[in-house]
Amino acid sequence: MEVQKEAQRIMTLSVWKMYHSRMQRGGLRLHRSLQLSLVMRSARELYLSAKVEAHEPPEVPSSVARSPDPRLHPPREAQAAAEAASTDGEQPCPEPMDTQEAPKAEETPARCAPRPAKVSRKRRSSSLSDGGDAGLVPSKKARLEEEGAEEGESAEVPERLQAPPAQAEGAFPNLARVLQRRFSGLLNCSPSAPPTAPPPPACEAKPACRSADSVLNVLVRAVVAF
Amino acid sequence: MYNGAGGGNDIQWCFSQVKGAVDDDVAEADIISTVEFNHSGELLATGDKGGRVVIFQQEQENKIQSHSRGEYNVYSTFQSHEPEFDYLKSLEIEEKINKIRWLPQKNAAQFLLSTNDKTIKLWKISERDKRPEGYNLKEEDGRYRDPTTVTTLRVPVFRPMDLMVEASPRRIFANAHTYHINSISINSDYETYLSADDLRINLWHLEITDRSFNIVDIKPANMEELTEVITAAEFHPNSCNTFVYSSSKGTIRLCDMRASALCDRHSKLFEEPEDPSNRSFFSEIISSISDVKFSHSGRYMMTRDYLSVKIWDLNMENRPVETYQVHEYLRSKLCSLYENDCIFDKFECCWNGSDSVVMTGSYNNFFRMFDRNTKRDITLEASRENNKPRTVLKPRKVCASGKRKKDEISVDSLDFNKKILHTAWHPKENIIAVATTNNLYIFQDKVN
Repeated sequence: MEVQKEAQRIMTLSVWKMYHSRMQRGGLRLHRSLQLSLVMRSARELYLSAKVEAHEPPEVPSSVARSPDPRLHPPREAQAAAEAASTDGEQPCPEPMDTQEAPKAEETPARCAPRPAKVSRKRRSSSLSDGGDAGLVPSKKARLEEEGAEEGESAEVPERLQAPPAQAEGAFPNLARVLQRRFSGLLNCSPSAPPTAPPPPACEAKPACRSADSVLNVLVRAVVAF
Repeated sequence: MYNGAGGGNDIQWCFSQVKGAVDDDVAEADIISTVEFNHSGELLATGDKGGRVVIFQQEQENKIQSHSRGEYNVYSTFQSHEPEFDYLKSLEIEEKINKIRWLPQKNAAQFLLSTNDKTIKLWKISERDKRPEGYNLKEEDGRYRDPTTVTTLRVPVFRPMDLMVEASPRRIFANAHTYHINSISINSDYETYLSADDLRINLWHLEITDRSFNIVDIKPANMEELTEVITAAEFHPNSCNTFVYSSSKGTIRLCDMRASALCDRHSKLFEEPEDPSNRSFFSEIISSISDVKFSHSGRYMMTRDYLSVKIWDLNMENRPVETYQVHEYLRSKLCSLYENDCIFDKFECCWNGSDSVVMTGSYNNFFRMFDRNTKRDITLEASRENNKPRTVLKPRKVCASGKRKKDEISVDSLDFNKKILHTAWHPKENIIAVATTNNLYIFQDKVN
C-alpha cells in the first residue's frame, strides 16, 4: 500500500510538473517532457505491480493479465477504443474526433478545475468495488470515458474556442499523445495531423480528443482520493 | 584526507578572482549559463540568462610580479540575444545564451558563436585604439564645415585614443531549428559548424546564413514513438568528418559525414549495459547524458550523466575505460531530487590542457576534479569565504551517512540551490573558471 501511495504521489507530482513546464518561458521542453513521461510510466508500472501483489485471487482477470504489460488493454476497452499502445501502426479512432493537441492539451489543465466536481461524483459511483484506487484501473476508465463522452463534447467546443492558443504545443503537437501513451489502459486516438507540420492551434475547427481529458481525470481522482 | 589532483605533482588550487554581484538576491538575468575560454586562453567568455555576453581578458603577465598569472578583467560586454516571440506557435523564445564557442584567431579581431534556443550568431569583437583626426571638411564632432570657410587642404591622420572594444554581429543563423538548441560545435576545418537541438543536427557554413544541411534527424514519423532525444553534440577536434552526439538514454553515437549525407546510421554506438543492482525508479532519467566533450588529443571522449563522469576510448564501444562518481551519495535521494527538480540539472564537464585531469560541478557550490593518472580526486568549493588571493582552497568532503567527521558536511546540509553547472579549464595552464549561479570564480594553481 505504501508503494501504491508513493507511486500515485509521484504520478500526481509528474502531472503537475508537466503542467507547470508548459507555463515557463521558452515553451515546452521536449527532453523534460520525455523525462517526466518516463517517470510517470515507471510510477504506473510500479503502482500496478504493487496492486497486483496486494489483491491476489479476487482480482479481476483482466487486471492480472494487464499487469505484466501495462500497455495491454482489457478486452472491453479494446472494443470500445483504438489500441494505440502498439508501436507499429495507428488504428482509426472510432469516435469522430481529431487529435489536435493544441486545444486538447491545453484544455486538459483548464478543465481540471471545473471537472473535479463531476469527477468525484463519477468516482464515487464507480469505486464501490475497488476501494479507492479506481483512478488507475483501465476497466473503470472505459466506463467513465463513455459517460464523459456525452457531457464532454458539448462543453469542449466552447472551451476550446475561448481558450488562447496553446502556449507550448506548437512545436510538439503530439506531446499529449506521448503523455497518454505512457498510460496504459487509456483511450488513445490516432493522430490525424501529419507529424512534420504542427497545425496552428486555433485554425482547425475539429473537436479535440477526449482521452487527454481522461488522463487528467484519472489523476485528479487520485489526488481527490488521497 | 587531502587528495591532490594534478599531473604528477600535487596541484594546490588558489583563489584568484570572483566576478559578479555580491548580494544573495540573484537577478534571474544574471544567472550564468555558459563559460568558455578561447583557444589561447587569453579571453574568457560568459553568457547569461539575460542574453548578454561578457568577455574577460587576461592581463599580460607582469614580469616583475611573477608569482601570479595575469588577472582577468572585463574586455567587452554586449547583448547577444533578445527575447523573441514566435507568433505562429505563440511561444516566447528565451534570450538565454545556451552555448558560446570561440573561433580560432585569424587576424586582429576575435570571433565567437553564441546561441540561444533558436538562433546562432557570429560575433566579431575588434579593438579600436586609433581614430582619424583632422578632416578637411568636417569638424571634430562630425558636423560639416561651411565650405566657404575652408581655405586650406589637410589630410586626416590617425591618433591614439582610449581602447574601445566593439562587438558586432556578422552573421545570424536563424530559423533552422524547431526544437531547442542544446549544442554548437565548430569543425576543425574552421569553415563549418554544427548546431544540435532535441531531434536534429544541422551543419552550417560560417559564411552562409540562408541555408544549412540537416545531418542527423531522429524525429520518429509518429511522435508517440519518441523514446530519446539528442542532448549534446560535438565535432572531433582533428577529424573534420567525425562528430558525436549523446542521447537522453545514455548512449553516444559517432558519425562519419563521409558515409552518407544524412548520418542517421551511426558508425559507432557507445553504450554501457546498465548495472542491474543500480536499477531504480529514476534510473532512466539519471542515465541521460548532459554533456559530451572530446579530449584535446581526440583519442577519448568524456560524458557526464547525473551521478558520474565517464571516459570513453573511441576504439571501444561497449563500455567506458574510466568511470568517476561525482556525488554517489545522491543516489538514495533521487526522489527528493525529483521533487525539487534538481534531478533535471544538466552538468557540464571539461578536460585540462593535457587531458590528464577532468573537472565537473556538483551542489553546494562544490566542484570535483579527477586525475586520470593518479586516480585521485578532490572536491573544492567556490565560495566568497576564501576570497583572499592566493588562498589555497581546502579540500571538502561530503559525509554520506553515519558519523560525520569534523570538517565534513552531511548530505542533508547540502544546498541544492547552489549548483555549479558550468566550468572551463584554460587550454594551456592550470587556470579554471567556475560559474556558480551568478558569480564567476577564477582559480589558479599555486605558483611558487
